[in-house]
Amino acid sequence: MKNTEFTRRAFLKSGVATSAALAAAPSLLNGAMAQEADLAPYKSAKIDWQQFKGETITVAVIPATYFDNLITLAPQFEALTGITVRFEKIPPAQIRQKSVIDLTSKTGTYATHAADPMYYSLYAANKWVEPMETYLSDASLTDPAWFKLDDIVPAWRNANSVDGKLLGMPYDGEVTLQVYRKDLYDAKGLKPADDLQTFVSNAAAVHNPDARVWGAALRGVAGAGQNVYIYSSLFREFGGQWFKDGRLTVNGPEAEAALTWYVDLMRKYAPAAAQNWNWPDIADAFSQGTIGTYVDAHSSASVVNNPEKSKVIGKVAYARWPKGPSGKRVTSIWNWGFPINAALPDKRKKATWLFIQWAACAETQARTAHRFAGPAKRSGVNRISIWQDPAYVGLMRGFGDNFVEATLASLQDDTDVDWRPRVPQWPAIGDTLATAIQSALAGQATAKAALDEAQKRIEPMMRG
Amino acid sequence: MTKSLAAEPAGLGRVMSPSGTDYSRALAVRERRFATALLAPAFLALMATTTFPLLYLIWTSVHRMDLAMPFADGFVGFDNYRELLQDSRFWASLAVSLIYTGTTVVLQVVIGLALALLVMGMKRGQGLFRSIAILPVVLSPAVVGMVWRTFMLAPEFGIVDYFAIMAGLGSQNWLGDPTLALVSVVVIHTWQWTPFAFMVLLASLAALPDDIYEAARIDRASAWQRFKRITLPLLRPAIVMVIIMRTMVALTAFAAIFTVTGGGPGTATEILNLYAYRKSFTELSIGYGSALAVALLIVTVLISAVLFAVRRAR
Repeated sequence: MKNTEFTRRAFLKSGVATSAALAAAPSLLNGAMAQEADLAPYKSAKIDWQQFKGETITVAVIPATYFDNLITLAPQFEALTGITVRFEKIPPAQIRQKSVIDLTSKTGTYATHAADPMYYSLYAANKWVEPMETYLSDASLTDPAWFKLDDIVPAWRNANSVDGKLLGMPYDGEVTLQVYRKDLYDAKGLKPADDLQTFVSNAAAVHNPDARVWGAALRGVAGAGQNVYIYSSLFREFGGQWFKDGRLTVNGPEAEAALTWYVDLMRKYAPAAAQNWNWPDIADAFSQGTIGTYVDAHSSASVVNNPEKSKVIGKVAYARWPKGPSGKRVTSIWNWGFPINAALPDKRKKATWLFIQWAACAETQARTAHRFAGPAKRSGVNRISIWQDPAYVGLMRGFGDNFVEATLASLQDDTDVDWRPRVPQWPAIGDTLATAIQSALAGQATAKAALDEAQKRIEPMMRG
Repeated sequence: MTKSLAAEPAGLGRVMSPSGTDYSRALAVRERRFATALLAPAFLALMATTTFPLLYLIWTSVHRMDLAMPFADGFVGFDNYRELLQDSRFWASLAVSLIYTGTTVVLQVVIGLALALLVMGMKRGQGLFRSIAILPVVLSPAVVGMVWRTFMLAPEFGIVDYFAIMAGLGSQNWLGDPTLALVSVVVIHTWQWTPFAFMVLLASLAALPDDIYEAARIDRASAWQRFKRITLPLLRPAIVMVIIMRTMVALTAFAAIFTVTGGGPGTATEILNLYAYRKSFTELSIGYGSALAVALLIVTVLISAVLFAVRRAR
């Protein structure tokens, strides 16, 4: 009896010890690793990473692989700086509202958040965020030779600036590309469209709904970041100007032509459901082989190349946005940036800057992209130097023909700071425009009537 | 608190006095005080969570509060309301709200009553039918919206569309066509909430006295006559109650429409509630959004007042 009790106790004891050791082992290992080789590239920066040790910051991001990779690496940042980072994942549809509510109530819940570039004007009007310049020029906080701000994609930095002041540091961005089915195009002897007319004729050539192949699809669902995302590029390609004599104008002949082109394409060659589709729906349909071509973010390439779901791997190729009647190609300059919440106490603002600097620096960008250990690699790194790094380029080539070339050319030549009108009233204007576009797509109103109505609604919004 | 403690000995002193009425009055006072103390936390919580926000809403609605133009904020009196009366989108969304409420409530009561009568006549399987019928009610409207949007109504891929194609109607863009979209959201709401009307009416039906029907049968009243002359009048209180409850909920519906159409296409299914939400939280024009919410409140109160008056009428 005694004997069994003894052994049981001993067993329990050893069991506890073993499990404790097992539980501790990975963190011990991580800690040890993080302190050694992992941190060396960061420590070459001539700043004191540990100066805000003990601070805690909360970061709001969206659930997406490019942020998941960053979250995976966060223990390295914590070991480097002694700052604790909490991440909160908020779906893209809600993150704008949640951060605006946090900023307007000045509670400082989110030290920084994944921000929509179109919101910086609103942030600036309310002085909700800090200019990056304050932190970039402070030698105790930033080593310019190490951080190399100029290496960050200029179009994205411009998109995140108001009156020349950078308000949010680009972390991950995208360009819009033409994605098409090489096999279908080859069978008909087609080339990727160089202009919008050819885009339509290509769509017409491969359009065959009886065989469940629709010619083309573009985002149709209403939203400032959904149908307006595509429409804004079209509007600019058709020669539209958001400001006429200093007045924000969304109607007029160029706007009507752009919207009519959009409506016609969607009516004739897109599945009826596409009217309510966002980009993931389009990418899903494309990967099932039911769409001939689409124009959307280059990052959707990872969806259409997902080996578990896609039936079109190896049949995908890419090209730049087709040219519009004005001769311009206009890509999205969308990026998720990190601003600094102005409601924070001074010390925490600086701690937040260290986080942003860490997230946006070349080393972390590379570690979350081609050097990331997990299966999902990022395709929207913010550094020109990485886009020229053979290791990264080699990985990106796997997405299909011409992917890297088209993306780089778009980044360098097709960006347009005035892609969308950058004013504080954007949330209201974007929503009004989205509603107008959708009612035209639904056939509720003609392009002209929908845009005239939108103009009527937008004018009072711009009045002070 | 100290005051009431100090008053206590005086009260006790009076209890000692010979007069019985004094004693009971003191007792009543103490009881009332005790009741007040018990009530206070709940009352304060209620004030803080309902009355205060309501007053704050009204206060906001007479201000200009525009996050996009903070420099223009300030008191504007009834400007928001004046603007509202001229806002065609307000009237359109009010009309959509009324159509949505009217049709869903009528459909719920008619279908619910028909089902209840049918199930009452069932000899077996009543319990099973009841438990199946309750399922939609326990689902979250947002989930219901997502299910309908993706599995049921998606053109070419959804179940409803599949049946439409089978029936020779062809594929329809259920949520993309303005009229069909409104029909769809009405159907979804009716689908989810008819079981509620059904359950209430079934319970009331079961409670109706048998002897009246027996007498009617002896008098050779037809089934239709029995329904019209006995069942309907006796069920009237239950029906009116269902109408009142469902009307208030339908007027303030949000989640299902928000997830299914987001008010679209265009503004075809934009109910007043959704318009107020978009104004406040998407366009960040909080003052005007509050005015819209107050307008919705007034409409809801007016309609419920009418319904309660009807209920009391007989």
